[in-house]
Amino acid sequence: MQPELERELIRKCKAGDARFYEPLVRAYEPTGLRLAIAMMGNTEDAQDALQEAFIKTYDTLHRFDLRRPFGPWFFQILRNQCRDMLRSRKSKFRLELPGTETDGKIEEYPADPERGPERLRQRDDARAVLWRGLERIGPEHREILVLKELEGFRYGEIAQILEIPEGTVASRLYHARHALREALVEMNVEYP
Amino acid sequence: MNGPRVTPDDLMRYLDGELTPEERTRVDTALAASTELQREIAIYRALKADFQELSFHPAVRYTSVWDRVNARVTRPIGWLLVIAGALAWMSYGVYVFATSPTDPWEKLATGAVAIGILILFASVIWERYQEWLRDPYRDVHR
Repeated sequence: MQPELERELIRKCKAGDARFYEPLVRAYEPTGLRLAIAMMGNTEDAQDALQEAFIKTYDTLHRFDLRRPFGPWFFQILRNQCRDMLRSRKSKFRLELPGTETDGKIEEYPADPERGPERLRQRDDARAVLWRGLERIGPEHREILVLKELEGFRYGEIAQILEIPEGTVASRLYHARHALREALVEMNVEYP
Repeated sequence: MNGPRVTPDDLMRYLDGELTPEERTRVDTALAASTELQREIAIYRALKADFQELSFHPAVRYTSVWDRVNARVTRPIGWLLVIAGALAWMSYGVYVFATSPTDPWEKLATGAVAIGILILFASVIWERYQEWLRDPYRDVHR
């Protein structure tokens, strides 16, 4: 979404018109859902966290500085929401395997080695192993890995979302990647 | 290792493209001189590539949260209108009742019944609230 359009929508929301919140929710929902699934482990809890985060964001929009980008601010609220839910007795990280690529696609490219059924199955298997590896590491490791690897945020943006100095992002990423590597080794997966 | 010293943080910033050209050259030099570092970076590259392929598709059918969010963010306006309207009607009712030519004893008796009902209603709500606070299973999902 264009920053200028985003600012205009936020201005309208701040003025009390909730209709202008819908494009913002729709724009940030896919990324937010991925982050929440990675944090919570399953779609149901992720959806609850996402919903609460959007409501909290709307309720605190009056405090939002329009000169700053909306994305990192929202992801910070979402991340805190996920952590609060994990800390409470309400939700624990509960693993649900992500949707597979082979769902309904097996017959699409039978002759293509890169997109054929065998390759898709291998990728599904690799995903399942990594997903189980993620279950074994802590939420603080999971969140930084998702922000970097899946969403491609720069170190400065990650620092803003996680409320840490930019200088410690590399160190946090090293520990997270190391923890994931160790978890995979424990599961008898060799890298590379 | 004979090349310049490379810390794990440098390695991560190298992997993620967060180094300046000069820092990158320094790490390249260290990598060329150390098979141990080469192996290390190859492991993290493979892990990074696999992770990036891991798309977090919801495993169950997903519907947007917008409708639920919309219902919640517009709810306070509804409550505000209901409370304001109810207060206005109650004030008007009390005014009409108080200024009516009814016998004062009738007014007192009716007032006592109304206040009694309000007290009982408030005490039941308070009791339920206290029970809810003590309920050890209130956060358990069905």
